[in-house]
Amino acid sequence: MGPLIPNGLIPVEWNFVIAILIGMAFGYILEASGFSSSRKLAGVFYGYDFVVLKVFFTSAVVSVIGLYYMDYLNFVDISQLYIQPTYLWAAIIGGMIMGVGFLAGGFCPGTSFCAAAIGKIDAMAFTLGLVIGIFIFAEAFNFIEPLFNGSNLGHITMVDILNISPYWIILIFTIIAIVSFVFSDWVRSKVKKVFY
Amino acid sequence: MSKRYKTKKFIVKREYQILALILVLLATGLVLLPKYKKNEGIEPKLFVKNAVSSERYISTDLLAEKLVNQDPSILLIDTRSEKEFNDFSLPNAINIPLNNLLDDDFIGYIDQDVYDVVLFSNDSFYADQAWMLGNRLGFKNLYVLKGGLNEWFDTIINPKYPKETMPREAFKLYDFRKAAGMYFGVGAPKTEKKAVKTKKVITGKKKKKRVAEGGC
Amino acid sequence: MKGKKQKNRHVYWNPYFGGFLLGLLIIATFYLTGRGLGASGAVKSTVVTMVHTVAPTHAENNAYYSKFIKEDESPMNNWLVFEAIGVLLGAFLSGALTGRLKLKVQHSPKISGRRRLIFALMGGLLFGLGAQIARGCTSGAALSGMAVLSVGGFITMLSIFGTGFLVAYFFRKNWI
Repeated sequence: MGPLIPNGLIPVEWNFVIAILIGMAFGYILEASGFSSSRKLAGVFYGYDFVVLKVFFTSAVVSVIGLYYMDYLNFVDISQLYIQPTYLWAAIIGGMIMGVGFLAGGFCPGTSFCAAAIGKIDAMAFTLGLVIGIFIFAEAFNFIEPLFNGSNLGHITMVDILNISPYWIILIFTIIAIVSFVFSDWVRSKVKKVFY
Repeated sequence: MSKRYKTKKFIVKREYQILALILVLLATGLVLLPKYKKNEGIEPKLFVKNAVSSERYISTDLLAEKLVNQDPSILLIDTRSEKEFNDFSLPNAINIPLNNLLDDDFIGYIDQDVYDVVLFSNDSFYADQAWMLGNRLGFKNLYVLKGGLNEWFDTIINPKYPKETMPREAFKLYDFRKAAGMYFGVGAPKTEKKAVKTKKVITGKKKKKRVAEGGC
Repeated sequence: MKGKKQKNRHVYWNPYFGGFLLGLLIIATFYLTGRGLGASGAVKSTVVTMVHTVAPTHAENNAYYSKFIKEDESPMNNWLVFEAIGVLLGAFLSGALTGRLKLKVQHSPKISGRRRLIFALMGGLLFGLGAQIARGCTSGAALSGMAVLSVGGFITMLSIFGTGFLVAYFFRKNWI
């Protein structure tokens, strides 16, 4: 019951085997959905291709509904899953830098692996840029450290912030997702067609 | 056009709407499902079965024999208050007052499957309650000393000399109890120093659940 | 206008189908291992290993690297590294099965290949920097964060896409 490896139901040695298998499935799905093409990825910002929005929202909605159903049926214990810590300003500023990087490079690390695997040289350049960027971060760490470690709000979830039952949050989230899908189709029909 | 064709056409034309509807229905289902309290522990029926059976009792004679033989798998837990524990207790017993049984510091002593835990108190009232709590939470290897310390006094420290008409086993039992009593210090000259109680250390195996790791 | 309509040679899956499968995969990941996916962590481990091999003392003195350098095992012994290897394999498999394997630089016809490569490098640099500050990239923070309704995940995602929309105007020459 619950996450299997932390509860010891699967021996720990399988952890890395599972990692490779999950990674393979992840890479396959990303590539087959078109995330290995940087022009498709950047399309969401210009209105000619909304595949990023659709895949992201659909997977988020499906996974959150699935996890909460499993929690209700006692298959998974949600309190044992990893919830990342919230560092407020680090998330905002890091996200801003990442946003600019996304537009400039047209990739994100996961999709750049996919694209590099099928031979896109610009994806390999992006990955090289990632390495350099992390290197610069580590060298300049002493300057960035207060931002990095500051304003730690802990491992909070939306339930703690908004103080309503998680099921209502999921419902609202689903409705927002569906509305955004309809909206994206409408926008796409109005935008000049781009061939990529 | 046949009805089947019409429904198929309807589904194909509006497949996205149907899928969206299914999604919203699932989410609404989550909101509307009755929320029950997930009870942590064993089923009530099983609990009653365990409570009614007398398997959990361990007699004073058996306990004395195990202690004399220095059985390493026994862990004695005194469920009375601290003051009573300091007055007198069994050798190598650990004091966990009933109120503190489920504290983080102490729960490791009953939530483990290495030692056999024998709970005792003056009668067996507190010990029984502790056993009920532990058994409800699903812990195994819990036993109660039948009769508690009162029975211990009556049998080991101060055994009754059997009447002549009793069978031979009664005499053997009496001898055994006398011997055990001497092992525990009865009849020895009253010395001021209290026997050094070596605290039995539970070498780490609090069944700790592994924390899920994570990261970017 | 009439005439030869150029067919888009790259036929991908329906995005909703892909999203559905990805959602199932995330559920499976959480069920099996209790953690979500991630990508930038693997690159970070690679960097730490490289720096540690080339200049061990510098790596140990640095406040950031030293967090990941352990005595007996290499920093590459990390869940994310194995997952990244799997991603490479899986994407390669998908590309091979659908005939999309080709060594090329994909860029808009309005700019040159070189400009695209330079921008990709700079984009990667910024992304690497940002991902370390925010402790996650889109797959790790946004995707897995949203699956457990974590605030950090939502904030990171909104920040990335919000900023993206704001600066999209300045990069339009590259894409449209």
